[in-house]
Amino acid sequence: MELTINGVKRTVSAPESRLLLHVLREDLEMTGTKFGCGAGICGACTVMVDGVATRSCITPISTLAEKSITTIEGLADGERLHPVQQAFIDAQVPQCGWCMSGQIMTAAAFLASNASPSGDDISEAMSNNYCRCGCYHRIRIAVAAAARTSAANEVQS
Amino acid sequence: MSKSNTENTKRWRITRRGFLIGAGAAAGSVALGVAFGLPVLRIKVAGMLENATIPSNAPKEPSAWFEILADSRIRLFVTKAEMGQGVHTALAQFAAEELEIGLADLEVTQASTEQGFRDSTGTSGSGSVSGMSEPLRQAAATLREMLKAQAATQLNQPVASLVVFGRGIQVKNDGGRRVEFAALAATQRQWMQQVPKESVALKKPSEFKIIGAPVSRIDIPDKVTGRAIYGYDARAEGMLYGTVLRPPTLGATLKSVDSAEAEKISGVVRIVRDGEFVGAVARTRAAAQTAVSTMQAQWNESKPLQQADIDALVTVGPDAGAQIQRIGDAAAVLDAQTNGSITAEYRTPMAIQTPMEPQAALADVRADKATIWASTQSPDLVRRRVADAIGFKPEQVEVITTYLGGGFGRKSDTEAAAEAALLSKAAGAPVHVGWTRSEELRYGYVRPPTHHVLRARLDADGRIAAFEHRQASGDVLFALLPKVATTIAGGILGADFGATRGAMLRYDVPNVSTIAWRRSLPVRTGPWRGLGALPNAFALESFIDELATTAGADPLTFRLRHLPDNDWGRRMTAVLRAAAEASNWGSAPPSGRARGIACATDVDTVVAQVAEVSVDAQGKIRVHHVTAAMDCGLVVNPDGARAQVEGNVMWGVGSTLIEEAHIENGRFAAANFDGYPLLTLKDAPIVNAILVKSDDKIRGAGEPAIAPVAAAIGNAVFALTGKRLRNLPFTPERVLAA
Ligand code: FES
Ligand code: FES
Repeated sequence: MELTINGVKRTVSAPESRLLLHVLREDLEMTGTKFGCGAGICGACTVMVDGVATRSCITPISTLAEKSITTIEGLADGERLHPVQQAFIDAQVPQCGWCMSGQIMTAAAFLASNASPSGDDISEAMSNNYCRCGCYHRIRIAVAAAARTSAANEVQS
Repeated sequence: MSKSNTENTKRWRITRRGFLIGAGAAAGSVALGVAFGLPVLRIKVAGMLENATIPSNAPKEPSAWFEILADSRIRLFVTKAEMGQGVHTALAQFAAEELEIGLADLEVTQASTEQGFRDSTGTSGSGSVSGMSEPLRQAAATLREMLKAQAATQLNQPVASLVVFGRGIQVKNDGGRRVEFAALAATQRQWMQQVPKESVALKKPSEFKIIGAPVSRIDIPDKVTGRAIYGYDARAEGMLYGTVLRPPTLGATLKSVDSAEAEKISGVVRIVRDGEFVGAVARTRAAAQTAVSTMQAQWNESKPLQQADIDALVTVGPDAGAQIQRIGDAAAVLDAQTNGSITAEYRTPMAIQTPMEPQAALADVRADKATIWASTQSPDLVRRRVADAIGFKPEQVEVITTYLGGGFGRKSDTEAAAEAALLSKAAGAPVHVGWTRSEELRYGYVRPPTHHVLRARLDADGRIAAFEHRQASGDVLFALLPKVATTIAGGILGADFGATRGAMLRYDVPNVSTIAWRRSLPVRTGPWRGLGALPNAFALESFIDELATTAGADPLTFRLRHLPDNDWGRRMTAVLRAAAEASNWGSAPPSGRARGIACATDVDTVVAQVAEVSVDAQGKIRVHHVTAAMDCGLVVNPDGARAQVEGNVMWGVGSTLIEEAHIENGRFAAANFDGYPLLTLKDAPIVNAILVKSDDKIRGAGEPAIAPVAAAIGNAVFALTGKRLRNLPFTPERVLAA
């Protein structure tokens, strides 16, 4: 079937029951999206489907026809990083980095739906993504900062 | 491997096992002095191990470390694995500092076991940065002088007139007379062998420009774009996926297996059986997993192990333990009159490292050479494990370390590598093995449970007159050592030096006794972030708080009063005061909250923390703030060190409030994160990490901050509720029951 990933149509020959995470990592060699639990708990595999944060480890590709999938590889606008990516660099958030694609995709989808979140909103939105390295303190700071830059960009454009 | 590398390997080869045996040899000679029996020796060796990071065996010759690239950048080969602790950046800072080049002019490359030198220490014990400081800086300074000497010849100028500038060498203030590094590269293989006789003087800390500067971590950009490659991401042409059949219960052995159905699964390429080892190789991981779950296996199982069996094994006494610290005669003082002495028992459970990236390795086994890409903290160990598994010599195995999606001690061993190698050899194709979360939670090794019995007596002035810590633990580091070393080291130490990390009392008390029991358990135990640091500090620093309460003293004042008049004492005073001041210790906390304080020493680093907590009606503890002051001497990358403190605090909060691994009917109960939940952002405290610098020595920063967390939280809960929690984790049920 045909999948639209980061704006590009890709034909995959996998059965429709195959999970998006496996299609990405194994069939398309897009390893930026990570495996953590395979059960929808940890958030490491989060991608966006039509802008909504989605756990690719429990999403069969049969549900994705006509949908637009964005992965960490496609989040930046060419060389220009997404504000969330930039904020994660600025606050030096990642440690091992394994959870970070999922954190960043979750944050990006969240900020697209809530442009001026409170601290509690951020806590709520980011609390279903595990980080074993314990980068939570900086994730809070970075997501709040990304919200501010996104808001500033809005005003400018 | 080049000649010089072989020589390096010989000269600098001090394996961890060699180190232990070395300790044994020294011990033997001391023991001949008659006056010292084994117990005294044990105390000495244990003290030495507690204070020292494992010495680095790194060569000082530049050729093992550097390569000059065509664009005049210098490539630095590092043997240490980047697992989020920022070690690649810190090592780059060392090299750039002494080379006198910018960080951007340096390319950091992970050395495989065939490049660079043999680093048998691996990446563990918070020792990578401190242990590499001298040898790497020495190598870099030497290379700088060698580059200058080469340039002097080419430019026909005296060496003394030359400086490093940009990516080349020139006459000071004269860009016209200049040579780029690239122009010296063609002959590097030759001239890098001619190491100058005298060692080049290293810069003084006061001259540092890059070491100590808050630089951005070099690995971060690739980690926000998905470009960083980890062991789980390793890919090769024609690669297949492998899954291994696991026993249903711990210790079960395979009787028989019928894989006829498994072979029919679409995508399955081969079923592999090699003695007890059974696995499936397929075109997708899902197919390999389905194949394995379809196999009909019969197992020899003994009576299934239960949690209570383990709990019963981990107890101090009544047999004799190993005395690892003795000052005065604590037992005599404590036994003299039992009234007035205070006793308490503490316990910590098994816990699982469970890094977010599970075990993973890719193996490409050819006729006489195996190449392994692995997420591992110990490439040298992986090399031996793989060689053993497939009947190769270690020299035939090259291990390439990838980025690690977390290590925390779990990747000190990397079982997936040998599994992938066995499957690759059988399938005749590269095979990737990546564990599931269930495998990660059930088939690894865990933090051993501990039991602590503490006794102390206060004198009339409220000072501690005698203090006794008796501790029992499963093995931590011995679990990874070859049997022979375990026997020798066990004979000398009596206790596992990983398990006793942080077990000794640092306070100034006239009578102190610390005794440790090594308990061998029917489950695999092994290293975990900080090893024994958190369990031991939990027991010690909670008990110190109990003594402060009995003495009617403020917990901070009580600690300060007992600090020794030496370097330790001064450094601990500084971090305690820094943490207290930044957390407003002494002022009233917001209503409904209370603060607790604790401190600890670990790998020569000292750390103090204040936790501010509240407890809700359901008994759920909320940790609002943790203020952590750490003195690890000269900090290479301050922002990176603070990140390590923050991460350790989070890890510590999770261990204190949530984490506990259970055995149920012969296996670890949790099959995924729903059964073994981790701390999430909602419950994460705000962390204020403060770096205190007492001197210019570089010390470990990757683990020490985990040590005091549980005690600081427990002490805060006591201050708030008057309930003393002595068993980890502090679940709501335990809080309500206390
Ligand atoms: S891997 Fe998908 S939620 Fe954990
Ligand atoms: S950065 Fe390591 S798990 Fe989040």
